[in-house]
Amino acid sequence: MMPLNYAILKYFTKVEEACADDVINALKDTYGNFKALNKKDVITALMTAEANGLIEETRFELDNNNELKVYYHAHEEGAATINKYIKD
Amino acid sequence: MIEVLGKVDVAAIAAKKKLSSQFFRKGIIIALFSGLMYGFYSAFLTLGMKNGVWADWYGANTAALSVFVITYLLGALGSAVNDICSAIWAMIVAAVKGKFGDFLRCINSVPGRVMILAALIGGPISSTAYVVGLQMAGSIVIPITALCPAIGAILGRILFKQQLNKRMTLGIIICVAASFIIGSTSIGADAQKGAFAGICIAFIAALGWGFEGCVAGYGTSMIDPEIGITIRQATSGIANLIILLPIFGIMAGNAKLSMELAYQAFTSGSSMIWFAVSGLCAYLSYMSWYRGNSMCGVALGMACNGTYSFWGPFCCYIVLGIIFGMDGWALPPVVWFGAIMMMFGILVISMNPLDLFRKRDTEI
Repeated sequence: MMPLNYAILKYFTKVEEACADDVINALKDTYGNFKALNKKDVITALMTAEANGLIEETRFELDNNNELKVYYHAHEEGAATINKYIKD
Repeated sequence: MIEVLGKVDVAAIAAKKKLSSQFFRKGIIIALFSGLMYGFYSAFLTLGMKNGVWADWYGANTAALSVFVITYLLGALGSAVNDICSAIWAMIVAAVKGKFGDFLRCINSVPGRVMILAALIGGPISSTAYVVGLQMAGSIVIPITALCPAIGAILGRILFKQQLNKRMTLGIIICVAASFIIGSTSIGADAQKGAFAGICIAFIAALGWGFEGCVAGYGTSMIDPEIGITIRQATSGIANLIILLPIFGIMAGNAKLSMELAYQAFTSGSSMIWFAVSGLCAYLSYMSWYRGNSMCGVALGMACNGTYSFWGPFCCYIVLGIIFGMDGWALPPVVWFGAIMMMFGILVISMNPLDLFRKRDTEI
């Protein structure tokens, strides 16, 4: 089991794109009991990763509840950096 | 239909803009908070080292400690006690937030080891230099150590081939000039004994922290800042205690002395109260520094954190000078001028000051 932040970053090397809800759904089986696996903290983690060039925004939209969903993906360089420093 | 989609798009764009703006502002506030907490950390650390057993060591000296021990070993001990207290706070917060397991998992990973390296550079070496400098020269050293963003920019250029343009070079010149102005006050007749040497030693702290900023900036792009700072303070505290203190003890001619002094320091209740407070402030300061850097970029984050060149002397003056009525903490106007000048220099290094206004324009 890897740290939650690592798992969040690693997830983006395995999918085309994802938003915070996708991350939570994908990781809830393993990290469901982690307090930090909530929308607010995951959004902060994603925006921090974006600010540091590990992932980049692809698109955004409002869902049926009028909540903002921002999608990100790991570009080639970002994915290579994540895979280099975070091993499976 | 097109009109409906248009309305949705506008609402989504507005929501996205709000989210980005809030994130950016939060990053700046956190980074500024790190500077403020650094000021209180400095003030309470100094207070801790003036009470309990420390009052005797630095005062009557009934233990007959040598000048070397008083100057260097006690400086390292103060730093070790503070970092251990800080690490305990960090572990408590990590446990409360359910991150203690991740803290242990992160240690044995590449980013974790990078954080440990940063901790060793920024901890035993820089923290001790800072404390020794603070003891020798007083709060004048605080703006000196605020040179670390300038040093970070130079090291970034050398180690990571990062940008160092004319604006940044101008900022570095402003900082060096401000440093000279502040340093010149210690050469006067009423300056503390050993103040100039203290300033030189404090420069080592600036060098180490500039290096730490480069290295830890990378580490916190992957590690949760709260976990990162737990690794940092635990590594730093333990390394100070089991490596640096014995080395100073051997250099002082008594290897056991450091452990005896450490025991006395940790069991001195009236000083440990203040070390507990300084440890909490150090935890909040470093954690906010890492978090601010990772949220709004290292350049802007370090510029905001660099405001500790003002908060340091200010908090020492408030806590030690006003609240506890100690003499010698009021600063001459030229030091205030130098601190403000240095802050401006740091800002110029880290970013184009005009961008602050441009950012505001675009947000409006």
